[in-house]
Amino acid sequence: MSNPIHDRNGRSEQASLPPGGSLRTLMAQDRMHARLLFLAGGFFVLFSAISFKLTLATIIRPMPPQQQQIAPQVPPIPKSDPKGIIAGDTVLPQVHRASVIDRTGQVLAMSLPVAQVYANPLEMIDPTDAAHKLKSVLPTLNEAETKRRLSLNKQFVYLARDITPAQELAINNLGIPGVYFEPGERRRYPMGRVAAQILGGVDIDDHGVAGIERYFDRRLDTDRTPLRLSMDVRVQNVVHDELQGAMDMFQAIGACAIVMDVHTGEIISMVSLPDYDANDFGKAPPDSRFNRAVTGMYEPGSTFKLQTTAMALQEGVAHIWDRFSSIPIKIGRFTISDMKSDHFAPWLYLPEVMAYSSNPAAAHIALDAGAARQQDWLRHMGFFSRVPVELPEAGHPIIPSLHNWGVSTTMTVAFGHGVAEPPLSIVRGTAATANGGFLLKPTLLAHDSAPAVPGAEPAASDADIPPDAERVISAANADILRKILRLDVVKGTGQKAESPGYYVGGKTGTAEKIGPHGGYLKHVNVSAFTGIFPMNAPRYAIYVMLDSPKPTAQTHGWTTAGWNAAPTASHMITRIAPMLGLFPDTQHTAAIEAELAIPMEPAVPRGYRALGPDYDPGTAHLHEHDHEHDAPARAARHARTPRDATDTAQITDRALHARNDVRRTPAQHPRDRG
Amino acid sequence: MKFQKRLLRAEPNFQILTKLWQINWLYVLLICALAVVGYGALYSAGGGTSRPFAGPQSIRFCFGLVMMLCMALMSPAILVRMAWPIYIFSLVLLVAVLRMGHVGKGAERWLMLGGMQVQPSELAKIALVLMLATWFHKISYRRMGNPLRLIPPALMVLVPVALVLKEPNLGTAVIIGTVGASMFFGAGMRLWQIALVVLPVPFLARIAYSHLHDYQKARVTTFLHPESDPLGAGYNIIQSKIALGSGGMWGQGYLQGTQGQLNFLPEKQTDFIFTMIAEEWGFVGGIAIIGMLLLLIFGGMLIAMRSRNQFGRLLGLGISMNFFLYCAVNLSMVMGAIPVGGVPLPLISYGGSAMLMVMFGFGLLMSAWVHRNATFGETTGEDN
Repeated sequence: MSNPIHDRNGRSEQASLPPGGSLRTLMAQDRMHARLLFLAGGFFVLFSAISFKLTLATIIRPMPPQQQQIAPQVPPIPKSDPKGIIAGDTVLPQVHRASVIDRTGQVLAMSLPVAQVYANPLEMIDPTDAAHKLKSVLPTLNEAETKRRLSLNKQFVYLARDITPAQELAINNLGIPGVYFEPGERRRYPMGRVAAQILGGVDIDDHGVAGIERYFDRRLDTDRTPLRLSMDVRVQNVVHDELQGAMDMFQAIGACAIVMDVHTGEIISMVSLPDYDANDFGKAPPDSRFNRAVTGMYEPGSTFKLQTTAMALQEGVAHIWDRFSSIPIKIGRFTISDMKSDHFAPWLYLPEVMAYSSNPAAAHIALDAGAARQQDWLRHMGFFSRVPVELPEAGHPIIPSLHNWGVSTTMTVAFGHGVAEPPLSIVRGTAATANGGFLLKPTLLAHDSAPAVPGAEPAASDADIPPDAERVISAANADILRKILRLDVVKGTGQKAESPGYYVGGKTGTAEKIGPHGGYLKHVNVSAFTGIFPMNAPRYAIYVMLDSPKPTAQTHGWTTAGWNAAPTASHMITRIAPMLGLFPDTQHTAAIEAELAIPMEPAVPRGYRALGPDYDPGTAHLHEHDHEHDAPARAARHARTPRDATDTAQITDRALHARNDVRRTPAQHPRDRG
Repeated sequence: MKFQKRLLRAEPNFQILTKLWQINWLYVLLICALAVVGYGALYSAGGGTSRPFAGPQSIRFCFGLVMMLCMALMSPAILVRMAWPIYIFSLVLLVAVLRMGHVGKGAERWLMLGGMQVQPSELAKIALVLMLATWFHKISYRRMGNPLRLIPPALMVLVPVALVLKEPNLGTAVIIGTVGASMFFGAGMRLWQIALVVLPVPFLARIAYSHLHDYQKARVTTFLHPESDPLGAGYNIIQSKIALGSGGMWGQGYLQGTQGQLNFLPEKQTDFIFTMIAEEWGFVGGIAIIGMLLLLIFGGMLIAMRSRNQFGRLLGLGISMNFFLYCAVNLSMVMGAIPVGGVPLPLISYGGSAMLMVMFGFGLLMSAWVHRNATFGETTGEDN
C-alpha cells in the first residue's frame, strides 16, 4: 500500500518486451491462465450437471403431485379409493368390510363408500346461498330446513347422510366454507331378495346382526378378500322363481327350498318365502326374516320314513324281503292307520312300505328296532342337535323327552310325527343315503377347489366326500335306499317329482299342522318333498316344502306333498340341472332304469327267516308294553290326557293325531298320502 | 488534490469518457437482460403485479447499475487502497450482526441500518475478494512458495468464515471459504501446499458435522431422503420438484404456473425463483437462464484472463467464483441436489443486499476489464 503506483522497472521492461511484463511474468501468467481455465472447466462441468438435473426434473422424471404432499393445502379427501381392489371381474371400491360373492363371483353383499355431510354454522357466510347451492347437488334436500340448520348458533349440524362419492365431489366443488364430510360406508345387496335371509344384515355401525353377515362378522372385517359362498345365484334365482310360483298357485303361507351338493355338502341354493329385499333388512317383517330352512321347525312327516328304513337296514333289523303289517294300530283312543290299507294285502314288503308310505308299517319297523336304537340312530344322524351350518339362526330341533320315549313315541317318530326338524337336517339325512352313506356337514361356503362355473364342474364322485365325513350307512345299504327312493318316484307317492332324463328319486311327506289350541288341523298341511337327482349318479339333494298349501282344481282337492311339493321339485330340477352342468340322459333310459330297479316284492334268500305274518317280534313288543305300566306306557297314558301333559307329551299326543287321515274316504287317490 | 494528481499520473491516457468507452457494454447488456428476466419473474411471483417485489427490485437494480458503472471507472490503484477499509468495515458489520442482529429463520443474518435491512455476509464476500486480490497482487506469484506469506491471507478468510458460522449461516460460510480457497488456487499456491491443506478436510468435516445445529443436521438428512418427511423439512424440496415437473418441456405459461401461483411453492420470490421460472417457462426457460448465468461467469473468467495484472486476474476470478457459487448453490438447492440454505439466485431473486453486492462485484470486475492493461504495485522480488 505504500507504493501503489506502478513499478518503474516493470514499465521500462515493457518497452522491450511484449506487453505483460518480463518472461517470468509471462510464464507466471501462463500458469495462471491454466488454473483459470481449469476453474472455468469446473464451472462448466458443474453447470452441465445442474442442467442435466433440470432435464431430469422437468422432462425425464417429473415428480407428480401426490396427495400426502399437497395435503396441508387441500381439504381431506375421503378414505375411499375409487379404483379399489379387484375381485373377479368386479371392481370393488376400497372399503373396510369385505364383500360377499356367490360361487360364480356375483356380488351378493358389498360396502359402498358414502359420506355424511355436516357443517359448522358458525363458519357459514351465507346460509341461504349455501342451502340453495347444496339443493342443486342433493335434490332430496329440504332447502328451508337446511337453511334453518345452517343459521343455528351451533358448531355442528348434520345436513345429509350417505351421499355418493360423486355428490361429495360436487359439493366439494361448490366451495362452501364450513361444510365438511365424514367418510363412511354403506352395506348394499345388489341381488335384492335373492338369498336375503342367508345374507342377513348389518346394523348402523356395520356390525353383522343376522345371517352370514353376523356369522362371519369378524372375518368380513379383518380380511378384505371377498367371502365366497357355495350358493349359485342363477340356481338360487330359478329356485326362488319356482318356489314363489308354487306358493302363489297353492296359496301357501310360506315355502322353503334347498339344493345341496351331496358330495361336498355345499348349499347351492336355499330359499325361504316369504322373503324381503335384503337392502330393507330393518323394515322387513319378522315373518319374512325368518329363515324356514334352518330356523323353521316342521314335522318331517313321511320324509322321516327314509330314516326309519335306513336305520332298520343298517342295524340289521329289517331286510328288503321282510314284510310289515299295514293294519291300523290302535293305541288308546287314537289309531295309526293308512286310509287305503284295504286295497292292498295288509302285509307290505319293505319297498312297498316306502312306495305306499304306510304309517303302521313304518311304526312296526321302528318297534322292531326299539326305542334305544331309534334314538341312537337319530342322534347319530344329527336330528337331536342344531344343524351345523354357518348361520347363527340355525335352531334346535324340537324332540320328545328322551326319558319318556315310549312305544307311542317310537311309533310316531318312525313316520315323522312328534318331532320337528329344520328342513336342512332332512336334506342332510337324505344326502347321506345318496352319496354312498356319508353324513356331511352342510356348508354355505364354497370349497376352495369349487370351480367358478358349476357347468364346468367335473362329475362329483365319492372322491369329493370330505375326509372327515363319517360313514353312517354301508355302501350296500345306501345302494338299496337309493333304489327305494327311485321306486318312490317311479311307482310311489312322488311320481310327480319325476323330471325326464334326470331320474329323480325322493320321498314325499305331509304333516298336519298344529292349530292354535293344540291338536292337529285336519286340512292344514306342511307338504314336503326331499329328493336326489340324478339317481343313477347322485349329485344334488333337493328339498321343497310348502306351508299350508290350499287345494286347487289341478290337485283334485288334495293338499298333500305328492300334489304340490313333488311337481314343484320337478320343475326346479328341469330348470336348474343344466345350469349345474347336468343334461337329461334319455338315450340310456332302459339301462339306467334297470340298474335302479328294485322288486316291490323281493324273494327271500335261502337261509333267512323273513319277518312277516308268522314272525313279528315287534308287534309282540307293542302288546307287552301296552300291558305293562312302565315308563313308555306312562307316556302313552299321558297322551290320552293332553291338557295335563307336559310339552313333550303334548307333541307325542299331537303325533298320534297325525296318522294318515283316518276319516278320509278310500275313494281318494291312494298314492298321494304323505 | 493529491488523490487526483496521483490518479492522472497513473493513467495519463485515460479520461472519464475514454474509460466509459472501454467498459464491456456487451457484458452490461447481459447483466441487464438477466435483471429483466428477474423483473418478469418477480412480477409473476407477486401474482401479476409489480407492487410487492418487482418494482422495488428494479429500483435497486438501477441503483446498482449506476454504482457498477462508477466502480468501473475507478483505477485499480484506488481499489487497492480501498481494500483494507472495506474489509475491516465488513468485519465490523459481521460482529455487529452477532451483537444486535435481527433474528430471521433461526439465524442472525440481518442488520437494520438506517431503516434498511443489510446482510453483512454479502458484503463480506466481496470485501474478502478485494482484500485477497490486493494481498496476492502485492506479494506476486513468485513469492507464493513461501508458506509464511500465506498465513495472513488465510486468516483473512478464516475470520469472516468464523463470524458467519457463528450467526449461524453454514451455507454462506462455505461459500466464503470456497471463494477464498479459489483465490489461493488462482493466485498460484503451490500444489504441495494445496495438498497439505485439502487432505485433512474430511476429518475436519466430520468434526464439524458433530457441531452442527439440529436444523442444519436436519437439512443434511432431508437432503439425503427428502420424501421421508414430505410435510416437514423436505416439503420445500418436494414442492419445488413438483413445480419443475409440472413445467415440463415448454412450461405452463407465464403467470399460469399452478405450484407458484397457488402458493404451494415456498419462498418463490427469493430462494425458489428459478423453480417458478422453470414451472412457467419449462425446461426451455430454465436452460436459457442457466445459459445466461454461465455466459456471465465465463465473461468474468475471460476478463480475468485478459488482465495483465495479478490484481485484475484475481478480482475477475474471485467475482466470477462468487457469482458462480451463488448460482450453483441456488440451482442445486431448488433441484434437490444439495440441502436447502438461504442462498438467492443473483440478479433474479428478490433482495436488496444481494443485488447491491452483486452489482458492486460486477463494478470491480468491470474496473478490472477497463484497466486490464495496467501494471502496478507488484512486488518483483522473491522471498528467501
